[in-house]
Amino acid sequence: MKAVERIAQHYLLKQLPKATAFADTKGILMDASDSWLDIFDIQAKASMDINIFELFSGMVENMDLQASLKDSTSHTIRHHKTTDQSEQWFESTFCPWFDETENLMGTIVQTDDITRLVEKELELERANYLLQAQSEVLNVGNWEYNVETEQLYWSEETKKIHQVPSSYQPDVSEAIAFYKQGYSRNKISMLFHQIMTQGTPFNQKLAIITAKGEERWVKAAGKPIKKDGEIVKVFGTFQDIHDKVMAETKTRENEQLLHTLIDNIPLNIFVKDLDSKKILVNKAECEYLGKKPEEMIGKSDFDLYDPEVAKTSRDEDLQVIRTLKPILGKETISIKKDGEYTNFLTSKIPLFDGEGKINGLIGISMDITALKKKEDQLRNLINITSVQNKKLINFAHIVSHNLRSHSANFSMLLEFLINEDDEREKEHILKMLSQASNRLLETLDNLNEVIDINTNVNLEKSPLNLHDNVVKVQQSLSALLEKNQVEIINKVDKDLCVSACCSYLDSIIINLLTNAVKYRSSERNPVITINAKKHDKHVVFSVSDNGLGIDLERYGGKIFGLYKTFHNNKDARGLGLYIIKNQIEAMGGSITAKSEVDKGTTFNVYFNEES
Amino acid sequence: MCILMKKVNSMFIVDDDPITVFGIKKMLKPVCICDDIQIFENGKEAVDALKNRLENGEDIPEVIFLDINMPIMDGWDFLEELISMDIKEHITINMITSSIDPLDYQKWSEFKNRCPHGLNYKNKPIFKIEISDLESIDLAS
Repeated sequence: MKAVERIAQHYLLKQLPKATAFADTKGILMDASDSWLDIFDIQAKASMDINIFELFSGMVENMDLQASLKDSTSHTIRHHKTTDQSEQWFESTFCPWFDETENLMGTIVQTDDITRLVEKELELERANYLLQAQSEVLNVGNWEYNVETEQLYWSEETKKIHQVPSSYQPDVSEAIAFYKQGYSRNKISMLFHQIMTQGTPFNQKLAIITAKGEERWVKAAGKPIKKDGEIVKVFGTFQDIHDKVMAETKTRENEQLLHTLIDNIPLNIFVKDLDSKKILVNKAECEYLGKKPEEMIGKSDFDLYDPEVAKTSRDEDLQVIRTLKPILGKETISIKKDGEYTNFLTSKIPLFDGEGKINGLIGISMDITALKKKEDQLRNLINITSVQNKKLINFAHIVSHNLRSHSANFSMLLEFLINEDDEREKEHILKMLSQASNRLLETLDNLNEVIDINTNVNLEKSPLNLHDNVVKVQQSLSALLEKNQVEIINKVDKDLCVSACCSYLDSIIINLLTNAVKYRSSERNPVITINAKKHDKHVVFSVSDNGLGIDLERYGGKIFGLYKTFHNNKDARGLGLYIIKNQIEAMGGSITAKSEVDKGTTFNVYFNEES
Repeated sequence: MCILMKKVNSMFIVDDDPITVFGIKKMLKPVCICDDIQIFENGKEAVDALKNRLENGEDIPEVIFLDINMPIMDGWDFLEELISMDIKEHITINMITSSIDPLDYQKWSEFKNRCPHGLNYKNKPIFKIEISDLESIDLAS
């Protein structure tokens, strides 16, 4: 009966779906299901020779299975089997086995194939590890809120971003309080409310104040998890984007700064590519050319300037591109298509790409037209001043010389007078003295006349008919002209006017005519030809005679000098030409002379018609 | 009373100012006896007269009083002409001027170096003519 029972039991056991085995207290395998024996590759015949303690000792380290099983509790161990193809994982549970009187009879071993479970575990572990690594690298943390328990979970990275210890346990109100007061806190409150009530996901850039009081930019995102239409959880990511935001802000600020600078600097700035096509222009450049930026981008100088100017500019560009050396502060003249001139101080600087290869150039041009004009005016002024100065020095010498010669005569004559005893001789000396005094007065009058001309700054000029004025002078000099049988040919256009001071014009005509009469040749009948020609900015008035002429090579520098006479003529005072030269110059004009000895002389008076 | 008088055969005064000419003549009286004093109003007249005398073999002036600023031909041009003339006799030339232009003085020292005759420079006013003004060491002899 016992045997039958045993066989029945054995038979039953053999077929158990779960791999099961029985062993006695010494570990001797008493019975086992086929499935169990399969797992351990044990032949059914040899099964009775197996000691399970020995069997497992090779699989489990650091564990005395035999000793552990003596305390009547169950134990579970994991073990694995490696074959050529695969690795199998098992879990064996050891349960104590008692008889009717509760005596420990042995152990029941149940073994499960847990390969798939272990694989899943490993996979999860790997996924977790990956997530952690990623979140550490990307500064992305995550969070989760359980609606039911009202518990908020923060990942390590999330805590790190908040600068709180790992032990920190946040709640929702604390979490919201981390956001910067104002916009960020209001926004997150609203977003959290919306996700909780309507399930609206969010992804928002916000500022927090960390536990250590630092302000940092973060990106908070949230998504709802629904179960049966109810929101049960909310989870999301939490990312530190502070450095990125700051870098972006910095970049934007730098860009803004550069833009503001380039656009508002009072210089024309442009960037050209290697084909000299404009790829950037600033406001000043646009205003100068009177075009919008989009009308200029991609255009070359040939599209915008006079062809010659464009060619010069292109040559400069090529020079910079070829030599890689900047052109700095070069004075250039730019002519726009409409013909407008501008003086520029231009610099062209090679522009390199990230690899140090030239890919264009930066041009900077300063409009110095006004400066140039000022410079010209200044140079003009310096010229005028130096001419004036020369005249003044010359005049001072004339004055000093003339006054000195008279005063010397006075001194000499007075000395004679003092030492003279002869009454008749005394009388003679006195006569000389009064003569000297008269000549001094006359000299002073002449000098005064010259000073008057030179100090009369605000000359009132008016348009005067040249022909009529010549006729008028002719009439006033009629006695002199008739006496010397002078023929006057007045070729002046009856409508021609010159801008001049009336009394000066009279003086000029009188002096030139009387001069021609004074220095007439005794061998010819005097003929004076008067003509005038209108030019762009002046009128040339010429008086030609057929008189004695003058050796200009010899006296050229002196003919307009004071008290210079060149002919043996009693009427010559050496004053007329000096006076009219001063008068003409005072009106902004000039006078020149051409002459050939014994042929005649031509004086050309240039009336300035500009101002 | 015995005053040393210099005997001068011939003398030129080249000056366009009659008062100066009067003064020179008056100042010459006490120091010099000269029967041949010729007056010229400018350099050209004096040059012409000098050429004439050379051609006719007449006396060449021993002393010339020369103004600088004169019409037609000034003192400098006169000197230029004089230097170019073939004159064996030594002449003493006194340049008399009221000019204080340093350029004139500079010009004089240039002329002095290349003029074979004695060349003095006198600033107006002058009150007296010394016998020494009427003779100068002939550097050529």
